[in-house]
Amino acid sequence: MSLIVLNGITKIFNRGRPDEFTALSDVSLEIEPRGLAVFRGPSGSGKTTLLSIVGCMAKPSAGRVLVKGREVTSLPDRFLTDIRRHTFGFIFQQLHLVRGISALENVILPAYPSGEGLASLRERGVRLLDLLGLAHRADTNVEWLSGGEAQRVAIARALINEPAIVIADEPTAHLDTKLSLDFMAAMERLKAEGKTILFASHDPLVYESTMVDRVLEMRDGRIVAERRAS
Amino acid sequence: MNWIDKQRNIVDFALSSLLRRWRKNLALLCVYTFVVFIVASVVFFAEALKRDACLVLEGAPDVVVQRLIAGRHDLISSGHMEKLARITGVSDVKGRLWAYYFEPSVGANYTMVVTEEAAGRPGTVAIGAGVSRTLLAGQGDLIAFRGHDGAYVSLEVARVFPSSSELVSADLVEISEEDFRALFGLPEGIYTDLTLRVRNPKETVVVADKIRRLLPDTRPILREEILRTYEALFDWRGGIVLAIFAGAALAFIIFAWDKATSLTLEERREIGILKAVGWETSEVIVMKSWEGIVISLTAFLLGLVLAYVHVFFTSGTLFEPVLKGWAVLYPRFQPVPFIDPYQVATLFFLTVVPYTVATVIPSWGAATIDPDTIMRQ
Repeated sequence: MSLIVLNGITKIFNRGRPDEFTALSDVSLEIEPRGLAVFRGPSGSGKTTLLSIVGCMAKPSAGRVLVKGREVTSLPDRFLTDIRRHTFGFIFQQLHLVRGISALENVILPAYPSGEGLASLRERGVRLLDLLGLAHRADTNVEWLSGGEAQRVAIARALINEPAIVIADEPTAHLDTKLSLDFMAAMERLKAEGKTILFASHDPLVYESTMVDRVLEMRDGRIVAERRAS
Repeated sequence: MNWIDKQRNIVDFALSSLLRRWRKNLALLCVYTFVVFIVASVVFFAEALKRDACLVLEGAPDVVVQRLIAGRHDLISSGHMEKLARITGVSDVKGRLWAYYFEPSVGANYTMVVTEEAAGRPGTVAIGAGVSRTLLAGQGDLIAFRGHDGAYVSLEVARVFPSSSELVSADLVEISEEDFRALFGLPEGIYTDLTLRVRNPKETVVVADKIRRLLPDTRPILREEILRTYEALFDWRGGIVLAIFAGAALAFIIFAWDKATSLTLEERREIGILKAVGWETSEVIVMKSWEGIVISLTAFLLGLVLAYVHVFFTSGTLFEPVLKGWAVLYPRFQPVPFIDPYQVATLFFLTVVPYTVATVIPSWGAATIDPDTIMRQ
């Protein structure tokens, strides 16, 4: 069974206003579990909007989204948040770490409202940082971390709620080649653990990687081509 | 348990968030504490003064009868005493001798009173602590008073009243009847006013009415009226202090309000991140509420404790001249520690609640943004 199904998704911003803009137009797609798919395309092609809708961060203007077989388009925000929290882990292009608190606190931030005890949360956070080779920086404030370290903190944060799907938007946009390769290696480990990974990227280092199972070419809000790994 | 743990986690993050912006929050806390301190001090002080005055007046007579001539207070004769004693329900009618005495050397008015305690010791006086301070006179010293005929009469200070009663005894000079009559040239059978007791307290008003009808040239003053006057006086003085501080307090409140109700870019960004990583709008609001509660509750408790120390341990040094004004004789008194839970609750609802609400509203506005906004930054 497909993990995510998109059926005729259209997303229009500023509808009815002079600056109305159609970001996605009638996109239909099925995403299977345990794979790595990359949405590739130029700026404004709709990659980020599509990831937002897949990750239950935004609602489509038309069409239906099913996550693990459950129709989520019509759910109220509160339920969408719950699904987002337990199903998806996000790695943002700008990382968006909270300054002034430690790496560990940033990692466990998404799990604060879960009600899990802080001691247990910290333990899990340290374990994740350790897996990413960053346990020794757990108590360091994030503004003191290097670019690569900060990104590993963002990865650990995306994994704290043990999501089935990891979504990353232009994850290598601000990284040099070595850090980009490190990031892809970390993703390969996640894929091997059975996570489903979705990227939006126009970096060849990402979409030409041998670990990518599927590349979806986007343009003008539509999927115009698709390549699957042989 | 899960709910409690969730709240604990959110409080933990709220505290860490407060500490991250410690400069702004410390400034807020100081301003807020100051405002609570001023308001609480005035409330505590006015209440303490009223209580002190009421305690002293507890032993006062039920009714004081003064003679009026065309609205002016005049001396009253013992003939009125007999008429009063015949009114049903009235007992213990006594003549009272007292007068204001102006002492030009220090520019102060004393209240001279004849009491039963002073009856047995002619040639001596007991004085209030205020009089003692202005004249630099202690026990055993002689004080000269200028009599009605211009001649000076020297009286020895038998004792100085303790400071615990200073609020009402600061300007007091207790003197024997003989010395009083000699000093002011008053013949026997003439009094300043008359006092009486009413057996049934519920009948005091009825007795006062009877007095007005029986002796139309007199004015009965009830103890309850004096108590009401004291309360009104100290409430008014408290109001004056608040009015003096109102300008400063208002400026501070506007500052605090502005700081509390406006979110910095960093705070907005942080709320966006929380939403994007899976926090619900309600959870963000709860977190911001905790921030507001921590600041306002801390300021409230600090302000309250400081006001308590200020009023009950340092005798309200800041407001003393305004609240206790007594011509040139400022009484020094130590208010008895007392807190009215009703007043504390009122202060709480006037400070903590509006501030917390004021903090939550802009956060609610920021927290309702779509979580995908952060994806596009």
